[in-house]
Amino acid sequence: MSDLVRDRLDRALAALETVDEAAARDVIAGDDAVDRRYLELESTCIQLFAQQQPVAGDLRFVAASFKILTDLERVADLAVNLAQYTLEADRKRFAEVDLSAIGDLACRMLDDAMTAYRTDDAALCREVAARDDELDSLCQRASERVVRDLIEREAADGDGWAVERVLDDVSRLLLIVRDLERVGDHAVNVAARTLYMIESDPELV
Amino acid sequence: MSDSQQTQTQTRTTGSDQPLETTSGETVEETKSEWVAYDFQGEAKLVAEDLDVYYGGDHALKGVSMEIPEESVTALIGPSGCGKSTYLRCLNRMNDRISAARVEGSVQLDGKEVYQDGVNLVELRKRVGMVFQSPNPFPKSIRDNISYGPRKHGDIDTGLLARVLGRDDGEAERELVERSLKQAALWDEVHDRLDDNALGLSGGQQQRLCIARCLSVDPEVILMDEPASALDPIATAKIEDLIDDLAEEYTVVIVTHNMQQAARISDQTAVFLTGGKLVEYGDTEKIFENPESQRVEDYITGKFG
Repeated sequence: MSDLVRDRLDRALAALETVDEAAARDVIAGDDAVDRRYLELESTCIQLFAQQQPVAGDLRFVAASFKILTDLERVADLAVNLAQYTLEADRKRFAEVDLSAIGDLACRMLDDAMTAYRTDDAALCREVAARDDELDSLCQRASERVVRDLIEREAADGDGWAVERVLDDVSRLLLIVRDLERVGDHAVNVAARTLYMIESDPELV
Repeated sequence: MSDSQQTQTQTRTTGSDQPLETTSGETVEETKSEWVAYDFQGEAKLVAEDLDVYYGGDHALKGVSMEIPEESVTALIGPSGCGKSTYLRCLNRMNDRISAARVEGSVQLDGKEVYQDGVNLVELRKRVGMVFQSPNPFPKSIRDNISYGPRKHGDIDTGLLARVLGRDDGEAERELVERSLKQAALWDEVHDRLDDNALGLSGGQQQRLCIARCLSVDPEVILMDEPASALDPIATAKIEDLIDDLAEEYTVVIVTHNMQQAARISDQTAVFLTGGKLVEYGDTEKIFENPESQRVEDYITGKFG
């Protein structure tokens, strides 16, 4: 499931970067496959609860996986959002905002969270959670930049039409930044559930 | 509970399960349970200290120390032959009935030693009642099953002689029968056939009758040895609901092989493992979500035992 979701996210980010509309449409169409996989795995977890009544380490594994699935499914939804923005946005504006750096960081957090899940690495869980601050500040700087640009335009141009012309692009860019930040939040959730799974430690939850 | 115990963590297992090596190099199996402290809210009703039981040459229970809190459900789980039933039977000296059994150590009920000379066993077993795996009603009427105990104990007096002597407690008996059957959630099913033979009841009803019979002598502690293992799921659910209600007023200690049952109904769980040792004791939630002991984890997740 995580490989599938990561693939969608990679494609969505690439499509956004290169303004590749065909690739963006693929990502949107591919969401059904993610949803199907999600429902399959969810029902596997429910069956395990019902038929095996797991306890202790087994219980924490199934319970954590059940929650992590939801986070992964949401990341796939965010990839669909990104693809949607690609179809609508004019990325020639605000080229100075480095979306790929934000995207890379968010992806690495998700990768590391899933590695921690696969390898029972509690230290890596805490590291992923700590990295969220870095992502948040990158996102905040990017948002401030576009908003400040908008304000400056209004100040420079009294009739307000210049602002109207970029308003859609600005709001879309803000949404992209927010969605990438959310990918990071889901990565932190995965790390938190994984830490609970490994050490029964609800510290990050 | 002493102050030193108050500061201990919620569950703790110490000691080792490895055989001890003696100076001569030979190994002997450790004969003590890992020391287990459990810090719970409220008062301890029963306290076992360093309890050992031998059946002839067989050391069936090894140095078990355990405090059982009042008005709650304590589950004892573990594989067959782990000593959990042996431990249960120590609590009202039922092991005394087995001639080959020898008990060492101490059990206190409300701070009073149960294994003291001169303890009145009838009185003890009245205070600490027991319900067994197979329902075992007397081959008498439903009413007589309930009133037999109180009559024997002299708490109520009925029958021809009592009537002749003017000491007839017929009304008290009727009230007692009704109250006991209601407490055991059986009254609605049998109130119109109290004079029928108890053996005509279903297995689940018979077991609730046995619980009612146990309640009729006004016990403080109820020991249950696999009370639902011979029952179907519906009868089991009724017994489990009943145990939950009983814990508001009584101290319930239950041995069960069914781990889900222990998880569902108990407040605290003690895990005994093969060899007659208590390995871990703590809040049920903690034992089933995150046990301290790897051996307990392996046992409850079905990896051995």
